[in-house]
Amino acid sequence: MFECQEISAEHKDLIHDVSYDYYGDRIATCSSDQYVKVWDRNEEGKWILSSCWKGHSASVWKVTWAHPEFGQVLATCSFDRTATVWEEIVGDTPGPGKSGQRHWMRRTNLVDSRTSVTDVKFGPKAQGLQLATCSAEGIIRIYEAPDVMNLSQWTLQHEVQCKLSLSCLTWNCSLSRAHPPMIAVGSDEPGSGGKVFIYEYSENSRKWIKLDTVSCITEPVHDIAFAPNLGRTFHILGVATNNVRIINLTPTDDEQSQQSGITKLDIQTVAQFDEHGSTVWRVCWNVNGSVLCSSGDDGCVRMFRIHSKTLWKQEGVLKGDGNQVPTAMEAAQSGPQHIPQGSPVGSIASQTARYIKLGSISQPSREPWY
Amino acid sequence: MYSEAGSTTMSHNLHGTFISQKVNKIRWKPERLEESHFFVTGSVDNEDQKIVLWDFIDNKDDDDIYPFAVAEVPYCGDVSELKFLNPDYFASSSSSGSAHLMKVAYAETGEAHIEVCTTWKDIHYFENGESSPCTALAFHENDLVTVGEDGRINFFTAQSKDVARSIDNADSCSIQCVIFLKHDEILTSNLRGQMKIWDTRSESNKPANTLMLSGDQVTPTYLTFHPTQRHIIIAGDELGALTTWDLRQQTFPVNAHEGAITEIQFHPDNPDHLFSCSTTGELWHWSTKTRYTLGFASEETNVWLAPENVKSKMEVLTLMPTLGKPINSLDVSKKKVICGCGNEAIYLVNGIAL
Amino acid sequence: MENNAKTFLIPNDLCRRAGMGASWRPMNEIVVFPYEKRSVKQKDQPTSFASNAPVSIFHIRRSVILFHPILRKLVNESNGVFLTLQASFKTKPSDLKMEILSISRQYRSIIRACLENLQDEVGKPNITVAERSEMHNYITIFYSVECVWHLCEILFIDVIPGNIVLPHLLDWVRFHFPKHERNAAILLASNSEGLELEEEFWPTVFGNLLQGRIKVVRALLKQHSAANSPIFQLVQHLLKSMPTYNVMNNVSVSEFNLQWRHWVMDIQQQIDSKQFINNHNLNLLMRLLTGEEEAWAEIQSQCEAWYEFLAGWLCYSETTVKTFELGQYAKQSIKKMRMQNHLRHLDRVLLAAMEFDMLLVIKEVQEMTENGWFVSHFTDLLHHSGRLSSLEKEVEGFSADKLRESFILDYGTTLVGHKSLWQVGLSYLDHCPKDGLPTIQLLLPRISFDSEAKVHKLIREAISRGLKNVAQSICKVQGMRSLSRGRLGNALTWALKSQDGPFTSYLADKYLKQYISSGELNNTDLLDNLGSSMLASDRLIFLGKYNEFHKLYQEGEYKECGHLLIALMVSKIVPKFFWPVLLSEAIPLLESEEIVFSANDTFTVLHCLEEKEEIPELSDKISILRLAAARNLSRALMYEAQCENLV
Repeated sequence: MFECQEISAEHKDLIHDVSYDYYGDRIATCSSDQYVKVWDRNEEGKWILSSCWKGHSASVWKVTWAHPEFGQVLATCSFDRTATVWEEIVGDTPGPGKSGQRHWMRRTNLVDSRTSVTDVKFGPKAQGLQLATCSAEGIIRIYEAPDVMNLSQWTLQHEVQCKLSLSCLTWNCSLSRAHPPMIAVGSDEPGSGGKVFIYEYSENSRKWIKLDTVSCITEPVHDIAFAPNLGRTFHILGVATNNVRIINLTPTDDEQSQQSGITKLDIQTVAQFDEHGSTVWRVCWNVNGSVLCSSGDDGCVRMFRIHSKTLWKQEGVLKGDGNQVPTAMEAAQSGPQHIPQGSPVGSIASQTARYIKLGSISQPSREPWY
Repeated sequence: MYSEAGSTTMSHNLHGTFISQKVNKIRWKPERLEESHFFVTGSVDNEDQKIVLWDFIDNKDDDDIYPFAVAEVPYCGDVSELKFLNPDYFASSSSSGSAHLMKVAYAETGEAHIEVCTTWKDIHYFENGESSPCTALAFHENDLVTVGEDGRINFFTAQSKDVARSIDNADSCSIQCVIFLKHDEILTSNLRGQMKIWDTRSESNKPANTLMLSGDQVTPTYLTFHPTQRHIIIAGDELGALTTWDLRQQTFPVNAHEGAITEIQFHPDNPDHLFSCSTTGELWHWSTKTRYTLGFASEETNVWLAPENVKSKMEVLTLMPTLGKPINSLDVSKKKVICGCGNEAIYLVNGIAL
Repeated sequence: MENNAKTFLIPNDLCRRAGMGASWRPMNEIVVFPYEKRSVKQKDQPTSFASNAPVSIFHIRRSVILFHPILRKLVNESNGVFLTLQASFKTKPSDLKMEILSISRQYRSIIRACLENLQDEVGKPNITVAERSEMHNYITIFYSVECVWHLCEILFIDVIPGNIVLPHLLDWVRFHFPKHERNAAILLASNSEGLELEEEFWPTVFGNLLQGRIKVVRALLKQHSAANSPIFQLVQHLLKSMPTYNVMNNVSVSEFNLQWRHWVMDIQQQIDSKQFINNHNLNLLMRLLTGEEEAWAEIQSQCEAWYEFLAGWLCYSETTVKTFELGQYAKQSIKKMRMQNHLRHLDRVLLAAMEFDMLLVIKEVQEMTENGWFVSHFTDLLHHSGRLSSLEKEVEGFSADKLRESFILDYGTTLVGHKSLWQVGLSYLDHCPKDGLPTIQLLLPRISFDSEAKVHKLIREAISRGLKNVAQSICKVQGMRSLSRGRLGNALTWALKSQDGPFTSYLADKYLKQYISSGELNNTDLLDNLGSSMLASDRLIFLGKYNEFHKLYQEGEYKECGHLLIALMVSKIVPKFFWPVLLSEAIPLLESEEIVFSANDTFTVLHCLEEKEEIPELSDKISILRLAAARNLSRALMYEAQCENLV
């Protein structure tokens, strides 16, 4: 059912974030070891470390790619209270066939925060080159590069006070022009009260305005993600809190909102999954927003798929397993003939990028046919 | 295997074979005495690219014939061009910036295989060191020329392992096509529809002449020359138009296909017949309607240079029902047309009317 | 499926100890990595897992069997049939039912061709054990697919005269249990008498009897060593006289039933008179013909599946069974074979089909592990046949359109994620009226490219669907790449294609700045031929015109050159950083032997000079310019005065 390919990331401590470029051809990783690494896939399909640099002077929480229209651009945020924008420069080379020196230039250091910057995300490209950060002190900051060809100039456009310590942030990426820019943030502060806040940019007042608080979520929130919007009338938000929540935000068209020019939202929890049985740390969506992926304190990664456009169901679980011998890496190196019988190694993986089949533990619910 | 779904009545014999790889170039292996039955394909878009030698033996009694793969070699990058220099040797170019000379060789047991004779590695590259796709290749006897997205032109001979001469920055845009006009003159076309004629003997790194395919910067996608009158050039472009011109005069565009033209081939033995294919999956056979235009050899009556009646003087036959996927490449030998299609299939049209 | 999701193991101990985080990799992969949530309130220090042992990340993807080279043939060929169906449905064919049936048969013939290819592959000597087992797995899957599809074709798609389903049912069983026919052929080919000595003789006789092949049964019995005995002759006679029902013969069902009863009575008499008592097998055979319960109970152990039994049983007890009665008989067969509690997946699908529970069939079919090929093509076919929408009235909240679209959307999305099948995938998304286009809008720009040939392909796909913004975005990305590769001219060409004004201006600036530093305008082959594309941005117009100025100057057309320079100076499109250069260009013209600038022109130059005085780069040129301008002014004024006097 599933196949896996192992890539040694060479970080010396746990990885905090892994992010792919728009095409899935480049990986950026960041870690507690304060390093940022970029990996490229070569012609044979192997992942090669192309750059590695000490990005911050403390743990690097998040790393994220800008749209390729802006070039090869990354943003990182760190415990060291800064967020940084990096641009890749490829130097000239002496001769043919020799790869140029790749180098990530620090284009700007955003030092407005007085506390740890907990999340950083580029805005949808329709709005030009914007960057949002949130921080432990409870402030959302929106930066903009007015000249997209000049990444060393960023202006702090907006500062939005949220009062609660913020842990995560997401932009709503809607394909529809009818939707004004929207951001949702989550707070991991304990205590009563809603922990997810929705903001919208008002063209009239040129300000970010708080539309609503998702009042049904009162437990600390650790991650949050808008699903890519395929032109639906409503937005879907995935939230990692004490469980996985999927929330629909539907703009309502009443007179009041039309007069004020401020969207009014109808907020509904459409799914809640307690399968992790513990705190949920991360959530993310696939490219077309049909599958939400979560990870939690139970050590599992869980996938939830939408069925017939309304019903969400869990469809698969991934779990770390140290007992399985050999490891993927060893199996790939030694080839199938050395694998003990019954181990889940197939040979359909292509020659260039080896994928091996994953074993599963739960009993298949039904016998195979024939 | 080709299910005749939706096919219109066809006078030809059509054989389709699904081969689980997308073919970018397909070429008959010319034969000295007998009729061609070997052909070579080069792939694109697959996980791993390869060049495959196929055998397609005609069987008069059995309609159910398929080509079968005789030999293959793995290839680094998409195969952007394949051309047979003679019955034994063919040259290829790759999107990874290299070119190769290969040979169809026979073992003592008579089995054919492909031998890589020469590799011109990384002859197209950008100044930051990334390799640049080599987009096209042309030859005249043993002289070869390649062009690429790096705007470079490389000259070399089939016998040498090194590039004899490179013109760096020959074009400030990607060069898409190249053909030999004479033994010492080539024609290139770039992304913006600019055509340049280069004198291969000249020391200068400037073209001898520059012209535009059309006013609106349409990208030419394929160039070919009239087999007997090499100054008559036909270009296919992005918008599906065929443009014919006498290099010494002006251009004559003919709107033809709906999608971009992927290839144009004159019949090797009979220049009254032209074949073209397109990204919208059309495979067309252009032929002169009546025999009075047999005086093709004389310039005045060359039907291609009579723009206002090209269409009325030419008969255009559709050789295949449209499959809804691009046809990437075609080749003709005697009465047989083969093409490679975006649905991972190759088709043989047998018995075309000449 | 509820709470039944499988757990897959990531072979990594660190992932087990620390826990895991996950991200998505476009298009269809997940990446997991060892992860532990750290709070900003914790001290920032290495975690307890920090070590020199490398940390790995894992790419996880669904194994898509359809990407196997052999199955790709099925994918591509069935795509052709799918598109034919969509196209022919648009034209509303007069004989929709026949069209649908023919399409269904085409799909099945593709499955059969695929099975043949797989069988060929299994037979090859040079494949590994693992590959062979993989092939066997595919064969199992596609046999099941064919089996279900064939039955559903009979029940839901084919038009059966009088609903007399038995002949079709027998055809179906014959294809899926080909053993008996094969064995019979082998036995008969041996052409020896006394075939009963072969172990397979009687099982083959009964097997063929169950599949309704009376002629084969008779042929086999003729090769029995006792074939000429009166008892065998009697059996031959009875078998030969078996009435057959044919809807075309103008025999009514009741008439046929009467004939049948007579025939059975005839046999029963012979059995009762103990004619066959000395030959157990013949006796059993005769009792089966009469439909005797115990006889059928005896034979059922020879059946591999309940539906093999069902077809045989119906053949001799309910010859004229109607399609809608199948469900009850199916259940009875299952009960007789005591299989109620051991139904396998395939059994359940077939039973659901015989009970005409189309939605259950579709639901179960989704669990066949062929990545949605079956369910999407099959549902689409049912939808076009109109069978699905008729369910809308019966099932609340059910929408045939939505169901069809959700399957096709998933299938298309899976294919778009493949390097070669992406165009095939797009053609499925094209036939999802609601979410197809937005999905293409999300997926198409994410298809990676490393050659302009691919860029052109992607742009064509975008433009042909009216997705201009997607096409422009791809052009812009290619422009940025060209820029990073030092191919300024190519970057400009792509910038123009993307209609990105600011990007175009940025590139035009680059040319002008290169000129300032090197004294040379690059890529003049491009700049000379900008044509109307120049209008994309003011900066590009300036660059184009400035290049023209250079050309004129080189050609010695000083007069025209001067006009152009003055026009540029007053045009308000001169970049600030370029004024020093532009003004300096005036010096040789002011000092040329022939008068180039009129008095008015000179005033314009002086005016600009005044305005731009404060530009530092200009400081060393100002005095020269002033002097040159003054000289030219006096020359020009004198000349103009002379001219006036002449008039």
